Amino acid sequence: MYVKAIPENCSGCMVCEAVCSMVHFNVVNRNKSGIRIEKKGVTEDIPHVCSQGNECDYECIKACKYDAIKIDENGVVYVIEEKCTGCRLCELACPLNAIHIHEKMAYKCDLCGGEPECVKYCSQNALVVVEG
Amino acid sequence: MYVEKGCYGGKILFIDLDKEEGKRQPVGDSLALKYLGGDGFGAYLLNKFVNPKVDAFSPENAIIITPGLLTGTIFPTAGKVAFFAKSPVNEGWGEAVAGGRLGFMLKQAGYDAVIIKGKAKQLSYLVIKNDEVLVKPAEHLKGKSTRETQEIIRKDEGGHFKDFVVVSIGLGGENRVRFAGIDVEERQAARSGIGAVMGSKNLKAIAVYGDRDIKVADPEKMYRLFVEYYNKMLESPAFVADGKYGTAEFLEWMNSERGTFPTRNWREGVFDERKEIDPYYWAPRYVVKNKACIQCPKPCGKAFVIKDKYHGELDGVEYETLFALGSNCGVGNIEAVAKANELCDLYGIDTISTGGVIGFVMDLYENGVLSKEDIGIDARFGNEDALIELVEKIARREGIGDMMAEGVKRMAEKLGGNAADYAVHVRGLEPPAYDVRGIKGMALAFMTSPRGACHLRSGAYALELTGKFWKFEGVDRFSSKNKGREIAEMENFMAVYDALGVCKFSRGIFLLDFYDALEAAIGKGFTEEELLIIGERINNLKHIFNIKAGWTREHSKLPKKFRIPIPEGVSKGSYVSEEEEKEMLDDYFGARGWDKNGIPKKKKLEELEIEEFMRE
Repeated sequence: MYVKAIPENCSGCMVCEAVCSMVHFNVVNRNKSGIRIEKKGVTEDIPHVCSQGNECDYECIKACKYDAIKIDENGVVYVIEEKCTGCRLCELACPLNAIHIHEKMAYKCDLCGGEPECVKYCSQNALVVVEG
Repeated sequence: MYVEKGCYGGKILFIDLDKEEGKRQPVGDSLALKYLGGDGFGAYLLNKFVNPKVDAFSPENAIIITPGLLTGTIFPTAGKVAFFAKSPVNEGWGEAVAGGRLGFMLKQAGYDAVIIKGKAKQLSYLVIKNDEVLVKPAEHLKGKSTRETQEIIRKDEGGHFKDFVVVSIGLGGENRVRFAGIDVEERQAARSGIGAVMGSKNLKAIAVYGDRDIKVADPEKMYRLFVEYYNKMLESPAFVADGKYGTAEFLEWMNSERGTFPTRNWREGVFDERKEIDPYYWAPRYVVKNKACIQCPKPCGKAFVIKDKYHGELDGVEYETLFALGSNCGVGNIEAVAKANELCDLYGIDTISTGGVIGFVMDLYENGVLSKEDIGIDARFGNEDALIELVEKIARREGIGDMMAEGVKRMAEKLGGNAADYAVHVRGLEPPAYDVRGIKGMALAFMTSPRGACHLRSGAYALELTGKFWKFEGVDRFSSKNKGREIAEMENFMAVYDALGVCKFSRGIFLLDFYDALEAAIGKGFTEEELLIIGERINNLKHIFNIKAGWTREHSKLPKKFRIPIPEGVSKGSYVSEEEEKEMLDDYFGARGWDKNGIPKKKKLEELEIEEFMRE
C-alpha cells in the first residue's frame, strides 16, 4: 500500500503538508512533512511522496550507510531515528524526492499506520491510496 | 505567553537597505492582543514607523509585510499576507493583501512582520533565511518579468526543493508605474502601488526561507476545528461554484440580474458582448487545472492556458480583471483579456487600475479629447490590439504610456480641459467591478475605504447585492438611507479577516465565529464584540494615517460619471446624487464617532486606546 499523487489534479494548496506535520508532530512545518508539494510555475504543482518501494528500487535503503532505513511487516519503509545521522545520502538517492533531511533527521511518509490523513483531506482528489 | 505558546513567529524584522542590515525585536503579548496580527500589525507599524507626509518614493517610506495571525496554521483558508506602505496612488494609506505562500514562510522563519526602509545602492534582492538577512545585487534581473525573476532566484538560492518563496516586481515596479504591484508566486498584491514603492527602493525581489515549527496553543483542538471546517467547506455550494468557475462565477448574474457590471469606462452597467468572458464559457475550454492559495480546500484560482495568437499561461482570470481588461475596455474576446491579464502579472501592474486607465483613454479617444496620433493606435472600445499595446506601453512608460502609468487622476490633471469628466477614481484609485450607481452602499464604501475606491475593505457588495449578510437584512441597494453604520460595521468585520489572514471568500462560512480557533491558536478566545473593537481600531488607525497625510472630506468625492444614470438593464436610471453622497458620508462619520469633517473625536480614540497616534 502506498500514497500515489496525481499532479494534474493538485491545486498546490499544501493542506496535505500541514496535515502531515500536525498529525505527526503537532506543529505546521513543511520540513517535517512526509509529503511535499513542489511548485513549478502556473500549471505544475507536484506532490512528492514515498511509494514504499512500489515505484522505485528502495534506493534510500541501499544508499543508507547506517542501516537506519528498514521495511516493516506491512511493507512500509521507515526510518530508525536513533540510527539516522542526517547524512543526506537517502535524500540524494531517492528518485521520487520523497525523503528529506531536516535538523539531522530523515523525514518520509509512514502511511499514518494504514489510513493516510493527507489523502482524507485532499479536496482535489490528487492523492489516492494504492493497494499492493 | 500568548505569543510564545501560540502561532506567532515571535519577532518583527527591521531591515535597513542603506546599511544592508536586519535587526530583530520580539513581539509582546500586549501588541498581539491589541492588534492580533496581519492588518492590525500593519495599521500599528505603518503609523509608528512612517511619517505620513513623506513622499511615497522617498527612502523614508517603508514596506511592511505581515502574515495574518492564523496564517501558517492549518486553519482552512488562513494563508494571507499583507503589504503596507504610504501609497503613491492616493498619497496616503496603502495596502495590498495576497494569497500565496509568503505569509506561511515568514512564520516558518519566525516573523510576524518585516519592515523594509531605505534604498539599496543598486537594483537588489533581499534574502531572508531564518535569522540571516542578505542584500544581493540584482542587476542581472533588471527588466525581467515577475515569473522569470522568481524562477532565477529560486534556482540560485538553491536548496533541495528550491524551497525559497520568492515575491517580486516586474518592469512596472522598476519603472515606478504608480499602480505597480508585487507578484506573490502568481497571486498578486496588486493595489495601492506598493510594487512601485519597492522599485523606488531598488528592491527587485524578496526571497524567504524558514524551517521552524509553527506551533499552536492547543494542537488537538486546532486539528479538530480544521476537520470540522474542512468538511463544512466541501459541503458548501461555493465549493462547487468556485472550484469550477473561480471568482467570476456570478458574472452573468451581475449583468442580467443586477445590471451593475461596469462597461466601457462606466458608460453602461451591462456588457452585451460578455459571452466569452463568462467563466461558464471559458473554464471548460481553457482551464487545465485548479490553483489554490495555501491551506485552501476551495480553489478559486485557475491555471489558464492560451494557445495560438495570444500564447501564454496565467493564474486567472479573476472577476475584477474580466471587468477591467474586458468590459471596461469593451473587449469580449477572452483570449485577448487573458493575455492582457498575463502581461499585467508579468510586468507586475494592477489589472484593475490598468484596465481603468485604458478604458479612460478609450473614452477620451471616442470623445475626441485624444487623437490616434496622441495614443499611437486606434483606441476605440473593443479594439483588442489597442488593449494589449497599451498594457505594454504603460509598463514600459512608452509614449502615452508614460502618462497612463500615473493613473487616471494624475493623467486627467495633466491633460486638463474636460478630461476629468471621464476620469473614474476615488482618491486616485481606479474602482473595481461594481457599478455603484446601482449599489449605493458600495458608493459609500468607495469613499470611505482607506486606500481609495476598493471593494475589499468593506466587502459590502455581497450584502448590498443580495440584501442580506451577517446581522443585516432587507438592505436596499438603490437607497442611500442608513448606509453609514452598515459600511462602518462591514469595514470592521473585514479588518478582522485581514488581521487573522483568513480569506474573505470564507466569510459566509465563518462569519466572526473565531473564538475557538483563536483559543486553539494562541490560548485566548475573542468574542465577536471583542474582534469588532479590534477591527474598528484598525480602521481608525488607517484613517488617522490618511488625515496626517493631508486627507480632507473633499478628497473622498465620487467621480462625475457616478452622477449619470445607468442607461439600461435592471438598474436603469440609478445614480448617486450630490445630496446622497453627502448624506451617506455624514451618516458614516456619525456611525464612526467622527466629526462632520471626518476627524475622529477624542472620546472615540480614547475608547479604542489609540489617542497617542492622533497626538503625534
